[in-house]
Amino acid sequence: MIKRGRGMACMWYPIGFTVAANPSAATVKVNTDGTATVLTGTVETGQGALTVLGQIAAQALGIATDDVHVVSADTDTTPMDTGAIASRTTYVTGNAVMLAAEKARDILFQAAAPLLEVPPDQLEARDRKIQVLGFPSKSVDIGTVAQHSETVLGAPSIGSASYNPPTVPMDPETGQGKPFNTYVYATQIAEVEVDDETGEVEVKRIVAVHDCGTPINPMLVEGQIEGGISMGVGFALQEEILFKDGAQINPNLTNYIMPTSLDMPEIEVELVDNYDPTGPFGAKGAGEPTAVPTAAAIMNAIHDAVGVRITSLPATAEKVLGGILELQAS
Amino acid sequence: MATRTKDVQTDADELVTAREARAPAKQPLTLPADDPVAFPLQLPESKARLQTPAVGQRATRPDGRLHGLGQTQYIDDLTFPHMIHAKVLRSEHAHARIVSIDTSSAEAMPGVLATLTGKEIPRNSFGPTLQDQPVLADDVVRHRGDGVAAVAAVTEQIAADALEKIKVEYEPLRPVFDPLEALGDDAPRIHGGDTNIYASKVIKKGDVEKAFAESDHVFERRYQTQMVEHVPLEPHASIASWDGNGRVSIWSSLGRITLGREDLARTLELPQSKIRLIGTIVGGNFGGKNEITNEPILAMLSRKTGRPVKSVFTRGDEFVSSTIRHPFTMDYKTGVMNDGTIIARKIRIILDGGAYCSWTGTTIGKGSILAPGPYNIDNIHVEAYAVYTNKTTTGAMRGFGAPQVCFAYESQMDEIAHKLGIDPLEIRLKNAFSEGSSSPTSQTLQAVAIKESLNQAAQRFGWKEWQA
Repeated sequence: MIKRGRGMACMWYPIGFTVAANPSAATVKVNTDGTATVLTGTVETGQGALTVLGQIAAQALGIATDDVHVVSADTDTTPMDTGAIASRTTYVTGNAVMLAAEKARDILFQAAAPLLEVPPDQLEARDRKIQVLGFPSKSVDIGTVAQHSETVLGAPSIGSASYNPPTVPMDPETGQGKPFNTYVYATQIAEVEVDDETGEVEVKRIVAVHDCGTPINPMLVEGQIEGGISMGVGFALQEEILFKDGAQINPNLTNYIMPTSLDMPEIEVELVDNYDPTGPFGAKGAGEPTAVPTAAAIMNAIHDAVGVRITSLPATAEKVLGGILELQAS
Repeated sequence: MATRTKDVQTDADELVTAREARAPAKQPLTLPADDPVAFPLQLPESKARLQTPAVGQRATRPDGRLHGLGQTQYIDDLTFPHMIHAKVLRSEHAHARIVSIDTSSAEAMPGVLATLTGKEIPRNSFGPTLQDQPVLADDVVRHRGDGVAAVAAVTEQIAADALEKIKVEYEPLRPVFDPLEALGDDAPRIHGGDTNIYASKVIKKGDVEKAFAESDHVFERRYQTQMVEHVPLEPHASIASWDGNGRVSIWSSLGRITLGREDLARTLELPQSKIRLIGTIVGGNFGGKNEITNEPILAMLSRKTGRPVKSVFTRGDEFVSSTIRHPFTMDYKTGVMNDGTIIARKIRIILDGGAYCSWTGTTIGKGSILAPGPYNIDNIHVEAYAVYTNKTTTGAMRGFGAPQVCFAYESQMDEIAHKLGIDPLEIRLKNAFSEGSSSPTSQTLQAVAIKESLNQAAQRFGWKEWQA
């Protein structure tokens, strides 16, 4: 008989470790037509980091995502970066890119101030223009300003900056201190069906509500969440490296079972409205936490469905059926 | 499938015929293996990419289009004139001393251009915290994934065949596979010294023993997690090439090139200015590509042969020699009042560290700090130990210990709710952090959104309306 169950799990996850130095640097160059180039030492590992970093630079310069080209990951040309690890790119590298873009933008403000007859601190960069704060009609096209600054004033618009979440050592005896700059939060709720004759578990639906501060690109956050859940489903139900005498006995995709599209549940994603003042435009991060609560939610749903408490992952059909038979016997 | 292949062949033949018909006379044409896709120069642009302000836009990824058109250049797509291929021979034992390595028969094979052993690597150790891992084992092998020798040959197949000609004599040592056994007094010491524990972490807040005595209920349970692999679509891959100025360029699937170059400079004993490390677009990382693997080997083989040298892990290499997720054994003891308020939590975690340290430092730190869960608990004691075993090296993987401890703290949360007859949503809301809460390390938390996520998820799911 098929039994339905539901289970929830929430989690917290740190962004921007501070127990050791954790810097990123970036350079932003504005071209004479108002488009821009970003140099970053991070690596695109499939998560969309370069798109997000481009959006952060574009926001600071008041231009569109498509106006920015991001050059990455070449030690001969790009500045240092601690790397595509620990869900740090949007937060740490993002802050560096934002600060670098602001430096480049300040050069444009210096050039535009005499043209608009106001001090530089009265200017803002918006909609591909440099304009007087509160007077959008008083503006100059950003390309015109960049061209004027570079070819007339001899002041090319370029900025370099770095960001390091302030390093704070922890007490080695008690572990007390501030090990991370900020944290994200999430809840996932799973609905499962368990066959009480075979122990097989099918995850039917997962609702995932995540906090990442400001989502710089909501579509990419949703993509991270869906990918994280697929990893979580594998961790919960299928994946396990098996050993015999120290040798892996299933080091291949025939015998190491992981979820395919056919195993994936319906996923409903929502983001919590939140803003972290320490992140670029309020952003924190989204990479790793998406994979964190899935297995726990599924285990709680299995318990709700058939009363079996799984205490060692993965919850294979054999383990779940063993638990059901034990319950029936007692 | 046969039919499909045949259809493709027929289509290709027709295409060649059609091209030849259009081609000038006497110019024999062949169809390239990879016929480039013709695509419009006027590309449709996503509106979100063109809009301001940029933040918050659902902008498409420029690399997404290249993936779709097959234009992304992964390492396996890169080739250079005179490029050759490397393969690494892995240990036959989980724990053994290497007595001798004889590569002469492999070197004599036609097509083999060079071999390499660990003794030829200028500084044969690496690791992000402890440099306890050899690039190629030259003294002791500590798990079956340890490389012991490498071959560079004109084709991948010849390199693979040549591995079988390498003779390695081992003196087997007693292995230990279970982390709890590895803690025992009589367990073999995998890295010498007087213990297999190589990292530990303690978090102490308040007085747990006093709070347990005051608790209405105490819950105790052991939770365990397994070893899992990242399984990126693209396995680890790299190419190394020396130039006439003594500079080496390395293309790699590594996710952290700044620190990767430091590791290369250290192992190769070269100034950083002599190394160019290029991170290509990576086909999936998930934490598994945070360390150098074959890069120093390829650099040495390239120096020996004067040619660019490439290696791409097989799926088997990926499983046995790259890092995987730490299994956790977690003992949770939690003191709770009748109304569901948690007042104490004591946690002991044993991490199966595998053969080398890798990213255990970060994993044990994050795992320990996060282990009590996102809850206001005044009395906390966490202690965690990472233990060497003769198994695959565990390292960074999406979440650094967080998925393991979340499985434990959220499973126990439901056990508590079930026993006390409290709704799982309500018990979480009762204990969850709020703005300004104090974390297990007494950090004042800001931008906290745990209750919001619980309520929003419950509403979206229909938690209150649910009927089984």
